[in-house]
Amino acid sequence: MRARPILAALLLAVLASPRGYAARGEVYALVGGRVFPVSGPVIEKGTVVFRDGLIEAVGAGVAPPIGARVIDVKGMTVTPGLVDGFGGVGLPAPRSGSAGGGSPAPAASPLAPQALSLDRVRLSEALKARDNGITTALVIPREGVLPGQSVLLNLGGEKLEGMVLRQPAALHLHMATLARAYPGSLMGTVAYARQALYDAARYRDEWKAYEAAARGRKRPAYDPALQAWQEVLTGKELLIVTASRENDVRRALALADEFKVRVAVADAPQAARVVELIKTRKLPLLVGVNFDPPRAPALFGTPDDEKERRDIEEAERNPAELHKAGASFALVSAYAPDFLAGVRKAIERGLPAEAALRAITLAPAEVLGVADRLGSLEAGKIANVVVWSGEPLAKDTKAKMVFVDGALYEPDEKPKPSPSPGTPSPSPSPSPAAEDLR
Amino acid sequence: MNALALGLLALAAAAPSPAPTRASETIAIRGGTVLTVGPQGMITNGTVLIRDGRIAAVGTDVAVPAGARVIDASGRYVIPGIIDAHSHTAIEGGVNECTDAVTAEVRIADVLDPHDVNIYRQLAGGVTSANLLHGSCNPIGGQNAVIKMRWGKGPADLVFAGAPPGVKFALGENPKRSNFRVPGVTRYPATRMGVEVVLRDAFRRAQDYKREWAEYDGKVKAAGAKGERPLAPRKDLELDELRDILDGKVYVHAHCYRADEILMLIHLADEFGFKIRTFQHVLEGYKVASEIAKHGAGASTFADFWGYKLEAFDAIPYNAAIMAAHGVNVSLNSDDDERARRLYWEAAKAVKYGGVSETEALKMVTLNPAWQLGVDKRVGSIEAGKDADIAIFSAHPFDPATRVEMTLVDGVVYFDRARDDGKGTIASAGGRR
Repeated sequence: MRARPILAALLLAVLASPRGYAARGEVYALVGGRVFPVSGPVIEKGTVVFRDGLIEAVGAGVAPPIGARVIDVKGMTVTPGLVDGFGGVGLPAPRSGSAGGGSPAPAASPLAPQALSLDRVRLSEALKARDNGITTALVIPREGVLPGQSVLLNLGGEKLEGMVLRQPAALHLHMATLARAYPGSLMGTVAYARQALYDAARYRDEWKAYEAAARGRKRPAYDPALQAWQEVLTGKELLIVTASRENDVRRALALADEFKVRVAVADAPQAARVVELIKTRKLPLLVGVNFDPPRAPALFGTPDDEKERRDIEEAERNPAELHKAGASFALVSAYAPDFLAGVRKAIERGLPAEAALRAITLAPAEVLGVADRLGSLEAGKIANVVVWSGEPLAKDTKAKMVFVDGALYEPDEKPKPSPSPGTPSPSPSPSPAAEDLR
Repeated sequence: MNALALGLLALAAAAPSPAPTRASETIAIRGGTVLTVGPQGMITNGTVLIRDGRIAAVGTDVAVPAGARVIDASGRYVIPGIIDAHSHTAIEGGVNECTDAVTAEVRIADVLDPHDVNIYRQLAGGVTSANLLHGSCNPIGGQNAVIKMRWGKGPADLVFAGAPPGVKFALGENPKRSNFRVPGVTRYPATRMGVEVVLRDAFRRAQDYKREWAEYDGKVKAAGAKGERPLAPRKDLELDELRDILDGKVYVHAHCYRADEILMLIHLADEFGFKIRTFQHVLEGYKVASEIAKHGAGASTFADFWGYKLEAFDAIPYNAAIMAAHGVNVSLNSDDDERARRLYWEAAKAVKYGGVSETEALKMVTLNPAWQLGVDKRVGSIEAGKDADIAIFSAHPFDPATRVEMTLVDGVVYFDRARDDGKGTIASAGGRR
């Protein structure tokens, strides 16, 4: 009874190891699938070739190179790897009161622009996102006001260092408040950010003056928090403002104007209300699909269920409205437990599926400044490729094969947890890919 | 981002201009009884002519130009728009930054919520301007925002451009948190003594800050154009405000109740050489009315609301009348979204309690709060040259059965009972709720 799953797991491990990570020079050719390059029209019977982690060719009449592992994906679809451009992939869940077992996650400082998400990501947790075809994720803790700087990860490999696409990816400001510390009000949050930017600019000037003529001068004190803002001040690093209200979008723009920094807004469930402003200002948008986030209890009186319902409905329609108005935007999980369910909800509410696919591939790559290397199926880009069982983003469609940096991962093949004694173990489902390779 | 993109961003920032808030059409409000609250007093069968959002002429023999939109106010009362000197309407994400004793750096203007339906409801009560104040959680709170009730416009359009900036102060039970204990949370001060120390300490720091910047400015001047520029002192957004209070550039609106704390603040302000613009609530103001008048501060109080906490027990309904009799500029405020809709009845109470004249009582919700907010040259009375902020009542504003029929801000009709759809919107304006 108990031997079978263990044997199966062992067998899988043996099978998986040689192609668990792209061997150098490995070449794949996905043949016969319906290919969605995103950067161009759909190719009905297309071939996607990638070598050594980079896409080599995409097209209808492409012949698989000699020596390539040819995988027949007839009846399936091929898309770029999905990008979650703003969320908590791989981060430990926030500490809940009395969770038993395991050490609690280290408490992140709520006001630490110098904190690095990279230091908090758990590799094994992060890799789970691949089950849904997500190959790239921008990671930043949800808690706090200045939660630090995000990392952009490619979700494949054995070491975090090898997964980094951009570090730091952006500095983040959540338009939120703290429970028992400054800033405890939204106006406090804005004031805190404003003062931090003034301080960071002065810190820059102070060090510049010192470096220009150090002799005879007192050395300025090193301040990691002010140091963290420096590349934001130069415009090199993006400031991503989490905008949960309509007016947070305006607040983000006001900060951009006051300090001449480059901003994007994230979540923005009410962005469609200010779509003209967003278009005029070409404000990069990372629109959340976490339509029903947990809400803070009402301080006074009874909770306004009617308003909450309206807020949820508005958020669900937000992507479709933005699309209709001609705005460009990415869809991001914004900590939704099921990213793709949120994307499907946006489609249900009127967002065309094609636009939705772009919004979770090429669009986030554009916002995050990596569209030259990923986000679409084009020669020369990183071989983040997903083979789906059916129409991408349809309800019952599953990711069958996920390639990250050209290395194959098969969600179906991952070892299942051992069933408890007495329950019959499910028979392992046959993997089409494994058969094709034999 | 490269320089080009930054340049584009800067261009884009300049491009969208706020929606026009000033009416372009010429309007004549005719046939009503005009309570000007200005030198022209009461005018029966008067005409108020509005051009470019301002009052062009007022009188009985004002010619109405061809093409002007005529609003028939016969049988009605036309008064200046009501001004609420103490409001917490249309503020998003909390009215208190409670976590520190001094938070002069936080700004209500950063968190305006133009969709707050209370803006519309207050227009329906004839209110055209309000002083949105930080709460009274700490001795020195945040910066207030004086707004006009431009319902349906964006947050920046609400701001009353040109109104002097101000900071909220608070004395007594609220800043010492005696009625708001949160287990496990303590914050200095916890006594009235402590409140005074916080204020004194804050202004000492502001004096140091002012000196530091003055020295820097002196060095820059001495170095001349080609000399080495010294490093500027740290710009501290909190101390910026306190320094500007010392320099008389920023008003102080001080929440207070008891006579002793009012005197304390007057003495402290005299010591540091600044002025209190208004005492807010000031329920024991009648005990120290002469001192308030001598300092030159205004007083913004309730007509007959008291007893809701210990420091509000020793109040009398004659407070407004007594302070006014001693030469204090007195206003009656709401501090509340509901009371804000019927401030004209609060003014009527000043007639009932203390025998204030009708005109003086009406001033307490129009011209007097306008002075307290530093906008009396712009609003608060119906006079040629002033902003066309006007409310039209069905009967005298002190009549128990009166109601507001129409409210204009800068000559734009933002409330019109005849066109109200019962959902908080009219055809020409409208918000989200």
